[in-house]
Amino acid sequence: MVNDSGQLYTIEGLAAGILMLVTAYLVVSTTTVLTPQDVHINDMQLEQLGNDVLSMMDTPDQYGNPSSLTKMIQSTEPNIEEEFKDNFLYYANNATNIAGTGYDRLNLNATVTYLDQFNNMKTVTFYEQPYYREKAVKVTRWVYLPKFTPIPARFPGIVSTENQTVLLEVLLWRE
Amino acid sequence: MAGMNEDAQWIVMLGFIISIILIFLALIVNQSALIGKTTSESVLEFPKSEIQDARAEIMEYYWNGTLDQSDLEQYLYNITLERKGTIIWYDYNRAAGTLFIHYNDGSTEYNEMVRDL
Repeated sequence: MVNDSGQLYTIEGLAAGILMLVTAYLVVSTTTVLTPQDVHINDMQLEQLGNDVLSMMDTPDQYGNPSSLTKMIQSTEPNIEEEFKDNFLYYANNATNIAGTGYDRLNLNATVTYLDQFNNMKTVTFYEQPYYREKAVKVTRWVYLPKFTPIPARFPGIVSTENQTVLLEVLLWRE
Repeated sequence: MAGMNEDAQWIVMLGFIISIILIFLALIVNQSALIGKTTSESVLEFPKSEIQDARAEIMEYYWNGTLDQSDLEQYLYNITLERKGTIIWYDYNRAAGTLFIHYNDGSTEYNEMVRDL
């Protein structure tokens, strides 16, 4: 029953199969070009979320009062960094429709940059968490500080005798 | 050329048409990748929040009446240049009631003249 006729058809079938595989590979590798845009959309949404959170925290509850961000930076309490982190992450992680916990997994590092009384620029870490090179975005906010006493020890040399503005920078990433 | 005949021209023509359609479809897929990337990238790079934030800070000083006595210009100018590589600069003329705000981060430039202050 077995003979060796039709060898040319076998080779043709093999060649066609390889041709189809190569075509499928080309098509699949072309569509992976689409992935960079997804990364940028995630970053864009994260940046927007961070800016919204800072905007909420920098808005006073009543007209004429200092905002909670202003109060936190002027505070001399030792654990105010924790309060800042809890407050920020409460707003940022408070999401719906996330399977399991119902909370997002965002984390942050925060620094404050200011000019001291000799006009030297100082950048102080306000809150720090271990950062293992996740994809992060940076959001910033100018924080208005009216005159205040006493000077918090975490900001050495900060001007407190006149109104001033400091820059709060938050590095934000999803674990 | 004994075996050649003119049968099956429909099949040959359809194959030709389909291959041309495939070329156009591939072009469209190619474009969509590029467009999705550039739109989210340009939203990321456009400093909407930075400009709004700096403007709000300048107006805060205007509303408490210390815009021309404070060191705000120095804070904004020095700190943004160091931390973001961006230039923010303003000029307030109390007598003329005008405020000029300038922002430039290298790719986006913003100028605003506020009158009747």
